[in-house]
Amino acid sequence: MTNKKSYGVSLRNVVKAYDDNIVLKGIDLEIAPGSLTTLLGPSGCGKTTILRLIAGLELPTSGQLFLGDEDVSTLSASRRDVAMVFQSYALFPHMTVGENVGYGLKVQKVPASERKDRIAAALDSVGMGGFQERYIDQISGGQQQRVAVARALILEPHVMLFDEPLSNLDTKLRRQMREDIRRLQQETGITSVYVTHDQNEALSVSDAVLVMKAGEISQLGTPEELYLQPKSEFVATFMGDANIVDADLSFKNKKAFASINGYKLELISDTRGQDAGPVRLAIRPEALTMVKGESKTGICGVVTSRAYIGSGTEYVTRWKDADIFTVMPTTGDQFKLGDMVHMEISSIGVSVIMG
Amino acid sequence: MSDTIRVESFSWSNPILRWCLLGFAAFFLLPWNALEYGVFDATYSEFYNAYAWSSIKSSAFSLVCLILIAVRPWRSMAKADLIDAIICTIAFIGILVIATLNGEALGYGAAIQMVAFGGILALALARLGFIQGDPFMTGAILLVGGLVGVFIYFPVLTIFSKVVVDDKGAFTPFMFFNLITSFGMGRVVWNSLTMAIFVGASTTFLGLVFALYAARISTRAQGVIRIFSMLPIITPPFVIGLALILIFGRSGTINDFLLYLFGDGGLFIGSGNEGWFERSAYIYGFWGIFLAQTLSFTPISFMLLMGMVSTISPSMEEASLTMRADDWQTFKNVTFPLLRPGIANAYLLAMISSLADFGNPMVLGGDYDVMATEIYFSIVGAQLDYARAATLGITLLGFSLIGFAIQRYWIGNKSYVTVTGKGTAGGFQPLPRWLQRGCTVIAISWMSFTAILYVSILVGGFVVNWGADYTPTLAHYEELWARGFGYGAWPSYITTLEFSAVGAPLTAMFGILIAYVTTRRRFAGRNLVDFGAMICFAIPGTVIGISYILAFNTAPLLLTGSAAVVIISFIVRNMPVGIRAGVSGLAQIDPALEEASLTQRASSLRTIFTIVLPLLKPALISAVVFSFVKSMTTVSAIIFLVTPDTQVATTYILSRVEDGDFGQAICYGSVLIVTMMIFILVVDKLVGKSRTQRTIKAS
Repeated sequence: MTNKKSYGVSLRNVVKAYDDNIVLKGIDLEIAPGSLTTLLGPSGCGKTTILRLIAGLELPTSGQLFLGDEDVSTLSASRRDVAMVFQSYALFPHMTVGENVGYGLKVQKVPASERKDRIAAALDSVGMGGFQERYIDQISGGQQQRVAVARALILEPHVMLFDEPLSNLDTKLRRQMREDIRRLQQETGITSVYVTHDQNEALSVSDAVLVMKAGEISQLGTPEELYLQPKSEFVATFMGDANIVDADLSFKNKKAFASINGYKLELISDTRGQDAGPVRLAIRPEALTMVKGESKTGICGVVTSRAYIGSGTEYVTRWKDADIFTVMPTTGDQFKLGDMVHMEISSIGVSVIMG
Repeated sequence: MSDTIRVESFSWSNPILRWCLLGFAAFFLLPWNALEYGVFDATYSEFYNAYAWSSIKSSAFSLVCLILIAVRPWRSMAKADLIDAIICTIAFIGILVIATLNGEALGYGAAIQMVAFGGILALALARLGFIQGDPFMTGAILLVGGLVGVFIYFPVLTIFSKVVVDDKGAFTPFMFFNLITSFGMGRVVWNSLTMAIFVGASTTFLGLVFALYAARISTRAQGVIRIFSMLPIITPPFVIGLALILIFGRSGTINDFLLYLFGDGGLFIGSGNEGWFERSAYIYGFWGIFLAQTLSFTPISFMLLMGMVSTISPSMEEASLTMRADDWQTFKNVTFPLLRPGIANAYLLAMISSLADFGNPMVLGGDYDVMATEIYFSIVGAQLDYARAATLGITLLGFSLIGFAIQRYWIGNKSYVTVTGKGTAGGFQPLPRWLQRGCTVIAISWMSFTAILYVSILVGGFVVNWGADYTPTLAHYEELWARGFGYGAWPSYITTLEFSAVGAPLTAMFGILIAYVTTRRRFAGRNLVDFGAMICFAIPGTVIGISYILAFNTAPLLLTGSAAVVIISFIVRNMPVGIRAGVSGLAQIDPALEEASLTQRASSLRTIFTIVLPLLKPALISAVVFSFVKSMTTVSAIIFLVTPDTQVATTYILSRVEDGDFGQAICYGSVLIVTMMIFILVVDKLVGKSRTQRTIKAS
């Protein structure tokens, strides 16, 4: 669809404040050309603000923003080569589907005949061919979503922005749409930035995920890095479930080991420059396997809660002052409330956290 | 990408040059100074003297600034944009200061050149990052800010200055207190406040009764709602007062009837006997004004409370009923408390309307002086007591602003009614029996009374002399309308239509622009624009009148006597109509629609025209219609500003009233009512269809 060269996006020490309210506290961020980067975080963390800054709908209070090599810090939205898909879709209710999709072309004075072809091609690419003459209130929510994507794609922008595009769709449709968006993005190679607060969505579509908290970057990495090696308790608990436990770190033959209440385990993840001594670990529920019976070392306690969820069973085990959360497959051993259990711990899914 | 940007950065200098060209054209072609008798009636030498280049004056300074910006010797400097902005600001201030010192009245040339400086300033500020770097929006905000400054803040500050600066120009901070405590002032202020308190109570009570009647009792309420929503808009000032005089006046229907029964030789007295009853002028004074204002403002209270009553969810009352409360306990403990913020709101607005009312006290006041009319009487005739008028004006504005601030910031936020969009099953439970009966009796009697009044207005114009001679006649109509277009009512009627037609689109445009920039944009000084808009809502018409005549009768802004100043005061007076339409219209348009247009590379100018305005069309039309109609009934704001050449309908009616020629006044009033009704109905018919064609919603 496009043979333009993709552009990266970089933010250099970008601060955004509304009066006294600082929503971005000096963001440094490089988004690789052609990648799909997801901005993830709880509401109010500043992820949408970053998106709007890239779009030019807001200008930074200080710092610089580059599209490719060009400083666009004070360039208004209508002068940037960026397209955006809005959370509410923002389709113009007084225009047809075709007019909506062709709006940007009309603004750029593309001749009517060429416009018609490109509208048809863009609608075809999202599976909405033949809907040109419909008004927006005559198509469904999922179709509106596709039209919104087509309207952004048709301009062949250097950067595409998605602001929680799937939040108004039901679960089934959401999965299909996110696959379609991922496919279109990979076909076109357009650098894309995607905002969501749904971690499954983030993990499944992204080349890179940026987790944010209170106007600051918590961690940037591939989906695997973020899930398996979270840097902080916040990232660990935000990206799925995690058990936070105390451990002792030691090194031997350039290998790192953690001892959890005497249960020794090799660490294959980054130890984040920590010296030997007490550390905190984040352990994914999948890294824990429950075994009946008591044990002197490691995690051991009584099952206090049990919930059947179809694909497996969720258990909570009381160990010291902590509630340890695990998920066991329905096909394996089953446990009852009050059973004494201990845990086997796998190295994958265990990481050292800092803060 | 870099290519397009290079082209753009080059073309940046182009708009500056275009604005400069406009500035130069204004300098050489248009008269720089105002012409006292207008462009078309000026003599050759007057015209010559008015040109920018005819002598050294403020225009010379302006030209220097313009040349500097056109040449831009600093163009390669890092802070070039900042220097542009500073030069433009200096040009603005310089022109005004020099013109003031020189006593020059600025005219079209100066105005256009200032617009050019404004355009350049907007470009410079946008490049400095104002309003997301958007020059059009920056310009729009500068324009709104400038107009609000010149036509709202400047006049209001001028009346303030009149009470702290004496005739010799000395600063006298205590003059206001001397004036306000001087003989007679206290009584006037007290009279106004007493009236406001009583009228607030009566209109709120009646409004509530009507609202309950229309929303909860009668099933045929739609007609009532429609008529009541139209009445206050299409009733010219003085008309209700005049109708009351026809019925209750010294020689009114009631007096005549009582005289017929109980007067000298009356029916119950017997011929030759002395009667128990003599003619009296009881309608003039407190009760007359009270009755007239109650009649005038009840529809407004009704509309406010109707909105409140009809949004109470039936489930609230149902919840109460399921907890064993009977219908009366439910009304007392649930329904009424839910209405309380609405009642307080209606009460305050009625008080403000009563304080500001000019027409009714003018006709019915007698010796009951109120502030709004005292301002007028301080100036008309040989009085010309500007200090007294200014003092009263400030006091009136103060009360009105306080009332408005309470309404807006305190009560305005206290509404319990939440619009959830969730439909509720089923209708309302019936109200208590006796409450239904009471409301019905009061509502129907008051409606009948209102109907009689309006009928007497229509009939009153067709009799020789109401009270003395009831012979049917067309004499009043002939006098007004049949003597050719240059005589009678025609000149003022045509002027009214012209001024309203010019003013209404501008009112709608600026109202919506103000609504847009204050609700959709963040910028330094937004609170000032917002407060200026609130002054528009609160300022009584007479205060606009007095402040305009004080502010715009000297250089550099000499406007009094011109048609422009009458139209401008129409616009300012009706600005609330435009702002309200804009705010409610914009609330229905998702801001993301505009952002979507911007990210599709459309400029904000294009976005406004292709996205915002088409979606705002219903709001725009209603704003135009209502400001047109309201202009036709505006009197207090323009009463000091009209000249024999710019006489409008309302001031013509006032002159008829002052001459005691009630027949003609009433006849003109009914023609206005009919004109406005036809206009509203025609527009409704024309746009009614397209209005409902597409429902506006953001996806």
